[in-house]
Amino acid sequence: MIKNTGLAAKLIILILTSTTVIFIATFSYNYLSYRNIILKELEDTIANLALATVFKIETVLRAAEKVPLTMRTCMQNHPHSAEDINRLLKSTIQDNPDIFGSAIAFAPYAFDPQKRYYAPYCYRRTGAPTVTMLGSESYHYFDLDWYQIPRELDRPIWTEPYFDEGGGNIIMSTFSVPFYRGHQNEDIIEGIITADISLLWLQEIVSSVKIYSRGYAFLISRNGKVVTHPKKQLIMQESIFSIAEDRSDESLRTLGRKMIHGESGFTTMTDFFTDTKSWLYYAPVSSTGWSLAVIVPEDDLLHGLRKLTNKVFIIGMLGFILLVLLITFISDTITKPLGTLADKTVEIARGNLDVTLPTPKHNDEIGHLTNSFAEMRSALKEYIADLAETTAAKERIESELKIAHTIQMSFLPKRFPPFPEKDEFDIFATLQPAKEVGGDLYDFFLLDDHHLFFCVGDVSDKGVPAALFMAVTKTLLKGLADVAMQPSEILEKVNAELSIDNDSMMFVTLFCGILNIKTGELTYSNAGHNPPVVIRRGSSPDWLSLPRGLVLGAMEDSAYSTNKIVLAENDMLLVYTDGVTEAMNGEKKLYSSERLLKTVEKQPFKTTEELVHMVMHSVNSFSGEEPQTDDITILAIQRKS
Amino acid sequence: MEFETTKQENAIVIKVTGRMDAVTAPEFENACSPHVEAREKLLVADLSNLEYISSAGLRSILSTAKKMKANSGEIRFCNLNGMVQEVFSISGFSSMFTICETLEEALK
Repeated sequence: MIKNTGLAAKLIILILTSTTVIFIATFSYNYLSYRNIILKELEDTIANLALATVFKIETVLRAAEKVPLTMRTCMQNHPHSAEDINRLLKSTIQDNPDIFGSAIAFAPYAFDPQKRYYAPYCYRRTGAPTVTMLGSESYHYFDLDWYQIPRELDRPIWTEPYFDEGGGNIIMSTFSVPFYRGHQNEDIIEGIITADISLLWLQEIVSSVKIYSRGYAFLISRNGKVVTHPKKQLIMQESIFSIAEDRSDESLRTLGRKMIHGESGFTTMTDFFTDTKSWLYYAPVSSTGWSLAVIVPEDDLLHGLRKLTNKVFIIGMLGFILLVLLITFISDTITKPLGTLADKTVEIARGNLDVTLPTPKHNDEIGHLTNSFAEMRSALKEYIADLAETTAAKERIESELKIAHTIQMSFLPKRFPPFPEKDEFDIFATLQPAKEVGGDLYDFFLLDDHHLFFCVGDVSDKGVPAALFMAVTKTLLKGLADVAMQPSEILEKVNAELSIDNDSMMFVTLFCGILNIKTGELTYSNAGHNPPVVIRRGSSPDWLSLPRGLVLGAMEDSAYSTNKIVLAENDMLLVYTDGVTEAMNGEKKLYSSERLLKTVEKQPFKTTEELVHMVMHSVNSFSGEEPQTDDITILAIQRKS
Repeated sequence: MEFETTKQENAIVIKVTGRMDAVTAPEFENACSPHVEAREKLLVADLSNLEYISSAGLRSILSTAKKMKANSGEIRFCNLNGMVQEVFSISGFSSMFTICETLEEALK
């Protein structure tokens, strides 16, 4: 696995990252969509619930309102005495168990012009209804809400709910109804009829509201006072505004304002009871000015969705792990053969070409690669085998060339002095080959006691073909040279032989001479060779004048001519090949025949050997590091006394 | 070595530039061989820019000349400079081939 980390890790990172992004995007979209659907459903549900509850409350309230309204009809339609009023009150209390107490409070001096206060009040005391009179100098009921508000508004009202401590600690509210006495179509408020009604049923209705596991409802009065709430301590003790004040909850205050203004709506807030984020619907109870709110904690609401989300997340994680394993497996199957192949490559790179390659299992890219690899290896093997063979062949040829060189050099006379018994002349020659086997030649031999034949030639090529051509030329010269023949005749014969079937167009330039060692007479001929240098005592070295003559081997019927000079005692002749005059230095300058002449003139030498070495040294120091491109042959001959 | 071949009215002119030694000599033969094979009757080598010629160069000239001759054609040389002139003279090529002073003369 470790060696596969590169590719596998890349694959895993790439695929898993994209998968994660896709998963999260889908997941989030799904979650939000469902959440919105649920919230929409919730709004409908709790709105319906709130409105239904409000309707229930309103129904009960309307029923409760009927009793005081009936009493008003009674009061307005019939003339009444104090007893009538008391009877009416008592019967009302007796007939309506929901009504805790009832009062008929007259306006000042309305019942009796002598009496400022007249307000009989009948209530339950241990079962039997009892009538008492309200109103005194210390109890100005005209100033109280239950009297003042309906009178001012000129319509029936429900008072703020209140705790009736005397009546068994129950919440009550008083319904106050103004009643009138007609005066020529002008109604004058004669007083207010009240009915104290227990609100126990209200708590029952509101607390029966259940939605989801913790959803509940509460009711606030016109002033924001908490009328019903699951938390009993709040009832009648706190108002929505005092709670908002305690919690410094501005949104709750805003909500409270909206509620007491009789608005309805759906909103979210942090519930002051459960202290969790909750959704809330509020609606007014229009007859009393109260407001009902139904609250559902969001946790309850989204509980199902969260559970589902968790499940989806777990499934996603499992899929994720599965994907990791799958990709690891796949990348492993891809990279393992690659790794093996890479290992094998290293071995091959080390030179082990016989390493066994893995057999491809499938005809896929890896298979192709392995096959190509096998082909490459066999090609490489073949190539190396070829190379080894070629190298061996080359080495063989080189060794053969070396042998050829040795043979060629052995053709040339190399023992000096060659004729120790002859003191009439001195001769010295050397050949410095450019390649292992060169194309230059020189030779000399006695034709008889008095005649010395010598020659210097240059085959128009190098290497083995040149050496062979040179060997043929030398053999022909040796075979054909005769004291009875002029040098030109010898050349003609040699040329004729060389020209026959000379398909390779090889040719040889040659200078040859016959020296009469007794008289110093030198006859010579030339076949396209460089002019030799004549060095006579008392005069500057000069070129030997040459007869014209074409190179040997070029044309079958070439004609050559013979020239003649006489060498005086100690006169020297320097014969050479163009390897001397055309030797090049680093600046691609030629040694040149002028430089040769000057060198011979200026540099000191005594013997032929010294002359030859001197010239060779001069040429070599001229060339310097520049590789020698042609054979260099130098031959010097001197006539002695 | 560089060759500049132009077709004249009655001949192919090859202008040779550079050095003709053992290494480059086969290039001359190769440059000439298409014209030899085309059985051209006259090939003129303009040697004005030939700096140096070795015996290998002479050999490729000789080879080409023989092939031309086999097709009863001819190779001529013109504008030989000092060194080349000398080599042609020494080797006897001057007497074997038609050597002209100018290109116009060679084309006559």
